[in-house]
Amino acid sequence: MRTALLGSVALAILSGTAVRAQPIAIVHAKAWTMTAAAPIADATILIDGGRIVSVTPSGAVPQGAETIDAKGQPVTPGIVNSATQLGLIEVSSAAGTRDQTSEAHGIGPGFDVSPALNPNSALVALARADGLTGALSYPSKSDEAPFAGQAALIKLRTDGGILDRRGAAVVAVIGGNKWPKDAGSRAAQWQLLRRAFGKVADGRRGDGGKHGDHGHGDGPPGPPPGSDDAVLGDVLGGRTPLAIFTDRESDIREAIRFAHDFSVHVVIMGGAEAWRAAAELAAAHIPVVLDPQANMPTSFDELGNRLDAAAILQKAGVVVAFGMAGGAIEESYNAGLDLREGAGLAVANGMPYSEALKAITVNAHSLWGGGDGTLAAGQPADIVLWDGDPLEPSTNALTVLIDGQPVSTDNRQRALEERYLPLAKPQ
Amino acid sequence: MTGVARGAIAVMAALSLGMGAQSVSPRGIAPWRIDPFPSTYRPLPRSDFLLTNAIVLDGAGHHLDRGEVLVRDGKIVQVGVSLAHAPGVRVVDAGGRWVTPGIIDVHTHNGTFVVPLTDIDKDSSDVSELNSPDVADTWIETAVNVQDTGFSRALEGGVTTMQILPGSSPIFGGRSVIVHPIEATNIAAMKVPDAPQGFKMACGENPKSQDADAHDIHGPTSRQGEITYIRDAFMAARDYRDAWTRYAQGKAASPPRRDLKAEALAGILAGDIHVNMHCYRSDDMATMLEVAHEFGFTIGSFHHAVEAYKIPALLRNAGTCAAVWGDWWGFKMEGLDGVRANAAMLDRAGVCVSMHSDSAITGQRLNVEAAKAGGAGRAIGIDVPPERMIEWVTSNSARILGMQTRIGTLAPGYDADLVIWSADPFSVYARADLVVIDGAVAYDRASPPAHSPSDFELGRTGAPHP
Repeated sequence: MRTALLGSVALAILSGTAVRAQPIAIVHAKAWTMTAAAPIADATILIDGGRIVSVTPSGAVPQGAETIDAKGQPVTPGIVNSATQLGLIEVSSAAGTRDQTSEAHGIGPGFDVSPALNPNSALVALARADGLTGALSYPSKSDEAPFAGQAALIKLRTDGGILDRRGAAVVAVIGGNKWPKDAGSRAAQWQLLRRAFGKVADGRRGDGGKHGDHGHGDGPPGPPPGSDDAVLGDVLGGRTPLAIFTDRESDIREAIRFAHDFSVHVVIMGGAEAWRAAAELAAAHIPVVLDPQANMPTSFDELGNRLDAAAILQKAGVVVAFGMAGGAIEESYNAGLDLREGAGLAVANGMPYSEALKAITVNAHSLWGGGDGTLAAGQPADIVLWDGDPLEPSTNALTVLIDGQPVSTDNRQRALEERYLPLAKPQ
Repeated sequence: MTGVARGAIAVMAALSLGMGAQSVSPRGIAPWRIDPFPSTYRPLPRSDFLLTNAIVLDGAGHHLDRGEVLVRDGKIVQVGVSLAHAPGVRVVDAGGRWVTPGIIDVHTHNGTFVVPLTDIDKDSSDVSELNSPDVADTWIETAVNVQDTGFSRALEGGVTTMQILPGSSPIFGGRSVIVHPIEATNIAAMKVPDAPQGFKMACGENPKSQDADAHDIHGPTSRQGEITYIRDAFMAARDYRDAWTRYAQGKAASPPRRDLKAEALAGILAGDIHVNMHCYRSDDMATMLEVAHEFGFTIGSFHHAVEAYKIPALLRNAGTCAAVWGDWWGFKMEGLDGVRANAAMLDRAGVCVSMHSDSAITGQRLNVEAAKAGGAGRAIGIDVPPERMIEWVTSNSARILGMQTRIGTLAPGYDADLVIWSADPFSVYARADLVVIDGAVAYDRASPPAHSPSDFELGRTGAPHP
């Protein structure tokens, strides 16, 4: 029994990595293309060469295409979690399995998590089985306030690597009790942030703005790639967003001022009280990544946590994405399931359904890249077929495609369930 | 008053034996049966009513369409369809909505893990007393801050009864308290009258780590050390219990000197105190069942039982329930083998299983936790119907508290604790529209304010809602 099960797992993993030349047609889908507020009923989704070819109502299936029958169930773009530590943490209480932070002195904004990403993590496989195809994996704070380092955009591929784009964001952390005594006041944290960017901005002005562009141009060579100055230069040059983890209204407003003063793309993460500055955030085009399950005053910075924060922000015109769903135990251990549950909670608290779905597809891609998160022709075919409403946590992902290929949804939990299922006999 | 002989049991004993407050309990009344912190709970204002036009999940495995529930004097009188009732009884039309027993959370730290967390919680938290691995003499109710926002949030999630447990750093964590999450200025006013006593014990990583980390090691640093420590303590408790028995039988002239640690364990040995045992791994649970067998007591429930699905027969034969999560796993070594279908697999195997929270966030949505576990069960071919799944958060949970004849089921004679849901209670979109405790409306989502802020939140949350 056990041998047979293990054999089937091994076969499935092998087939998941096979190169697929054949086009695929998903038929009879309730297709959430995310290009409209309503799904297309009985849609045919054609996929070839890893990309979406077309989505059409009752569309014909080309000869030779492999057909997947959705039987009327929802099909969505792959789900993306905008704040996880997937691939960086295996067992949070076991230090030797954690790579999400640098405690070494002198490693600041240049700290890049991407070399540490583990595609074989059991957490990654479970998230993939839950319909998660992409995520931002972010570093925790470093030794150098207020920076954490560079986050990576990951794609949950099964063929050896999950890194999609290194340096997808530079992360800073600001707030009460966030840093030890040297930067104990958030005023000091903002000062350190401004000083760090001011120094690099001065260097760029000194060489006609070419400094920081990795030496492309006529001026003196820029800072070495990956160095703190280069990384901050990429933020100043508009190539990388600055993700600021912060919660209190005063810090949200200070982040808006910072974004204006330095003309950089800022993304608020955490954002417990962002709803208090919803109009200002919308005007400044600053998106917010929320934990959609947070509704407790967990710290004095988070007294404003509320379940309808997403609805308030979205209504005001702020681009909302979701991450960290449920806090530490959920953000990576259940990065797929609890993100969907969180989006469902946002709907239960006033967010339109299609907007909640956008928060975990289109909006996440608008922040971090990797396609636009729609089921439109030409987009990467990261697609999930569900057995029910994807925002219901009781719903299961039936088929997950990444870059046009059905990937294995085997995971360690399922293997354990199958091993012990014979003991669950009715008495 | 010396703090003895004020509880219901003790009062009766004192009256019958003509003894007032004394530093020892009267002959024949075991000291562990005395509640030094009696309840002062009074039900909220209530009226009799007949609930009609409801989809009823009664917590006893039944599913009634267009069901009715008749409530009188805070008790359920009848559950069925087209009930006859006396004229003048207020009729409440559920409008086709779902009605279930009130949700029961068997494991919360509300009132002691009080947010916002600050430095005082790092230095000296009230979740666990850490002066010894054996703090069996502590009562968590003496630590509970009733202003915790977690209580009103839980009520809004349909929770009508909850057990506040001490934390898991000590091996013997102390007495629990069973409360209704209603507004109060002291815990006695929330405490369920005449509820059985509960006790918290812990095995595995938490207690051994606590002591290994301590500068002055005062407890076991390994699993084998923990088990030895437990056996040693129960041997002493057995002697203590026997000494009380000899005194009660008149074979000893004077009572034993009271020992608050030993008497909690003696109460467990006597079957008067329900054991809530924090264990993750199947081998830890199996070992603890052996220890319980050796000393002749029952472990009511394993909490955080992430590997319970590996030992259904052991649990079933011991009559021990498993309190589990919907999806927490992996954050520590003893949690690596968590599976989401745990509850469904245990239910299929005939084990009493309950969803517990351990978290003020999760504790607002135990119905959704059950739904997650149900969905995971469906994925491996175990399709649990709603009338069965509801038992995971109602009647099975009541059994863990030792209150299965009183709460957790909609049946004649039970306390009228129930919830009217806005939608299928196993949907993420469902909200508790009306929460009834002892026949009284404790929360009505339609009547503003939607929730009463705790004293902490009052005047602090800034501008009103935009």
